Amino acid sequence: MGRGVKIMAISVLLVDDEVGFVESLAKRLTIRQFEVSQAYDAETALAMLAENPKIDVVLLDVKMPGTDGLTAIKTMKRRHPLVEVILLSGYANLETSVGGMALGAFDYLLKPVRIDELVYKVEDAHHRKTLQENKIRSLRGESSTDSNEQET
Amino acid sequence: MASVIRSIGGWFRRFTGPKEPELSEEESERLSALFRERYHSFRVLLTANGRALETMATMEQAYAGIQPYGMDFVISNATTAAVRVYRMIQHLDALAPGKYTGLFERFDEIRGELDTVIHPQPKIIDAPLVLPLAAIGRHDSPVVGAKMANLGEIHNALGLEVPPGFVITAAAYGRLLDHNNLRPEIHRLIQSVEIDRPDALFALSSQLQQLITSAEIPSDVREAVDGALSALRGEFDSEIGFAVRSSAFGEDSAETSFAGLYDSQLNVHPDNLLAAFVETAASKYTPQAMVYRRHHGLRNEDTEMAVGCMAMIDARAGGVAYTSDPQDAVDSRIHISAALGLAKTVVDGRFEVDLFITDRPPLNVVHREIAHKTTAFALRPGAGITRREIEAELADRPALDDRQVLAIARAALDLETHFGAPQDVEWAVTAARQLVVLQARPMHWAQVPAPVPNIEGEPLVSGGVCVSPGAAGGRVSWVHSDREALKVPKNAVLVIDYPDPRWAALLDRAAAVVSEHGGIAGHLATVAREFGVPAIFGMGNLEALRRGEEVTVDADGLAIHQGLIPEIGQVRRRRNLMEGSPIRGILETALTHIAPLTLLDPNATEFRPTNVRTLHDITRFCHEKAVAEMFAFGSEHKFPRYAAKQLHHNVPMQWWVLNLDDGFTEDIKGKYVHLNEINCGPMHALWDGMVAIPWDGPPAMSGSGLASVLFEATRNPALSTPFKKPYAQRNYFMVSKNFMNLQSRFGFHFSTVEALAGERDDENYLVFSLKGGAADMERRSARARFVADILADKGFRLKVIEDTVAARASALPQEVVLAMVKVIGYLLMHTRQLDMIMGDQRSIDLYRSKLENDIASLNRK
Repeated sequence: MGRGVKIMAISVLLVDDEVGFVESLAKRLTIRQFEVSQAYDAETALAMLAENPKIDVVLLDVKMPGTDGLTAIKTMKRRHPLVEVILLSGYANLETSVGGMALGAFDYLLKPVRIDELVYKVEDAHHRKTLQENKIRSLRGESSTDSNEQET
Repeated sequence: MASVIRSIGGWFRRFTGPKEPELSEEESERLSALFRERYHSFRVLLTANGRALETMATMEQAYAGIQPYGMDFVISNATTAAVRVYRMIQHLDALAPGKYTGLFERFDEIRGELDTVIHPQPKIIDAPLVLPLAAIGRHDSPVVGAKMANLGEIHNALGLEVPPGFVITAAAYGRLLDHNNLRPEIHRLIQSVEIDRPDALFALSSQLQQLITSAEIPSDVREAVDGALSALRGEFDSEIGFAVRSSAFGEDSAETSFAGLYDSQLNVHPDNLLAAFVETAASKYTPQAMVYRRHHGLRNEDTEMAVGCMAMIDARAGGVAYTSDPQDAVDSRIHISAALGLAKTVVDGRFEVDLFITDRPPLNVVHREIAHKTTAFALRPGAGITRREIEAELADRPALDDRQVLAIARAALDLETHFGAPQDVEWAVTAARQLVVLQARPMHWAQVPAPVPNIEGEPLVSGGVCVSPGAAGGRVSWVHSDREALKVPKNAVLVIDYPDPRWAALLDRAAAVVSEHGGIAGHLATVAREFGVPAIFGMGNLEALRRGEEVTVDADGLAIHQGLIPEIGQVRRRRNLMEGSPIRGILETALTHIAPLTLLDPNATEFRPTNVRTLHDITRFCHEKAVAEMFAFGSEHKFPRYAAKQLHHNVPMQWWVLNLDDGFTEDIKGKYVHLNEINCGPMHALWDGMVAIPWDGPPAMSGSGLASVLFEATRNPALSTPFKKPYAQRNYFMVSKNFMNLQSRFGFHFSTVEALAGERDDENYLVFSLKGGAADMERRSARARFVADILADKGFRLKVIEDTVAARASALPQEVVLAMVKVIGYLLMHTRQLDMIMGDQRSIDLYRSKLENDIASLNRK
């Protein structure tokens, strides 16, 4: 019914030094029709964000050797303010969790993550990104569309 | 609620006049984008609210229940609740920037207090690294652990013989961890694993033990131990071996026994003493110890390990003495189990041993059961212990003569008197006939079980000894190996050949335990009694029990029956082992900062950020204000697409509808909207409920009811105006496709209904509150309780405070939420003015049946 509109997959970047965790989560997200890319440290993640403007949501581990998640998110929000970041952590810690939110994280989830809840969060984060993009477009006088729709 | 509705009404009336300004296409787009963004923030806030409340409910339920939980549960839930509440504040700030900044500060203060509660610093043990047994007494247990403290006490205060030795203290254990910086890693590992799953528990346990066994021993600990060894060596001619035993704080107390959960190593060569220390330290994290701590609400930090090193006794006989019958607290005779050789033979629970019973002073041996003893443990020269066969002519000889039995009984009674509680005493008798006490701790009993009914038919298996009373049913689960242990399902009937202490880790998922061998003494037996798990040991061949088969174990009746026999079932609830535990205490304190709702009335002047005291207060505040802000925004912006419309309908009520996003089927340009132009699932469900069954009008009032209404009306100016127009109605809807919020006033009643019924089951919810009425407070409160009664079995969580009833349902599929909304719609219409008849029981009963019948028919239509 109606014009065919191809919905493009939501693009997610997984960042965590635990390779096993990243691999398994990547598989589960791919099955659920997300486009997944992977990085095992903050520097690689930032490089990937610079190269790939299509990334919508970053799933970022808090405790990584080298540059940790809380430092990385500051840089990410500065360079790519529209990309939403969801923090993941194996440690429940009141201070870091709220601190991460204050730095602009869309949400903060404790591992082990429930995959359905994670999917909702990614979808909500993507929705917010779309709204922000549309707002910017309308301020510029362009018409707003769902950024992931392409008319066929 | 009244003033909220008045102000909402005020905004609406101001901005829905006939003159609507013309907006350009761009301006329209911009405002639309703004609306959608605000609505998104609103939705995120609502979802965070729902999830925050769920987390709080989870914590409250755990606190109220008997299922055990660990610190990881408390910390992760407290953190999750805080994160979700913080999101709400962030998004309220997005809706009304800068208006409620006091909230951030208050949140920070509450979070700080929560932090100190759930991350209390572990105690630093400032004590010598090694202490000789001669220097310690009962009060040293924080440093040397309960077992060693007691042993020191037994020797120094009571003058009983104990093995010579020393304790490597909890301070040394702390040094081992800190020297290798193990604490953060241990904490991280424990945090990240769900230890309710056996496979995860076993994996975590081996990781933790590995961490400790591969740790480097700091030089100060090494030196201290060497010094103690030298001092001891001076007292002996030949090289002595050591019994290396755990001694944890909290072990062997009146509440917990930790029976056999930590490793003991026997006859350790002095050169291997430090290695044995490290291994014993690692046994703090065996699966059974972790499950045990979890069940008793003990934090890992609360059970610091000390390790006792005691010279081995070359025992001719050894065993256990109880100063009361382990199965019957009333029977105060002294029960002594004895074997040839080391006491371990008895403690293990695996072998046939002698049983002697004496009465109280004047002491006499009143019962002797001499077993055919085939096996004994003995010291292996050099190091270690060995099992040896007992010569045939000795097998039936009593391990003790009567004089020895009485000496043991006397010593046990002395201990009972000194410690003020019945004692479980491990003892040995040397070649020189010297009695040595190896260990003493308080006895544990199971509860008195409820009587078990007689059962027809032959049992599958009978016999053995009741090790822990009660009865329970479940599926047979044979366990011979660790691999099989991983697969034990919940509520299984565990079937084992020997009561090996390591199966204690499985007791929390077992309905009952039965064993081919074993008796009442022994570690697994002790723990089964403590957990209240029915158990029969020594049943002999259990091949008749097939894996997966359903059986009922009647421990008191010493029988296993085929099938599940409901009359027996789980006759007794398990003891709440968490009660009084440190972790439960922490959860309790944490909850005081999280769960109580102190800001009750949104209309009161106290409803301000500075007055929020708990996380729940914050959620309440944010939710109320967010709803108000959404209404305000819709009315403030003269934007036809999203401005409030009046519902076109033929009754003397006013219904105003505000479109949040996609709540209308198309752009509505004019002042009115028709029901069929509204695209909101919950609203239609509510409407259907309201009109499904015609309202018969207000209930016939008795004289006293009318008098009450008149009295209230003259007393309360807020009621007097509407009394002139008894059916004045004001109803304000906010809608989108799956969401509805209704602020409503029907006559004297105020109500709120909010529902989200979308595709995400666990984000769906329905809240409903109803307040007020025309009659006096007593009747109004009665009506609130009446409504709560009706809703009680319909899937709602209910709270009644005076004349307000609040109902909440969440995490349900879309259709279910809509069906419940329909019921609410019906109630809104049909509970009007019911407060007036609340004095008359007959009318109440009549109305109750009518309402229940109507509701039952509602969802049949």
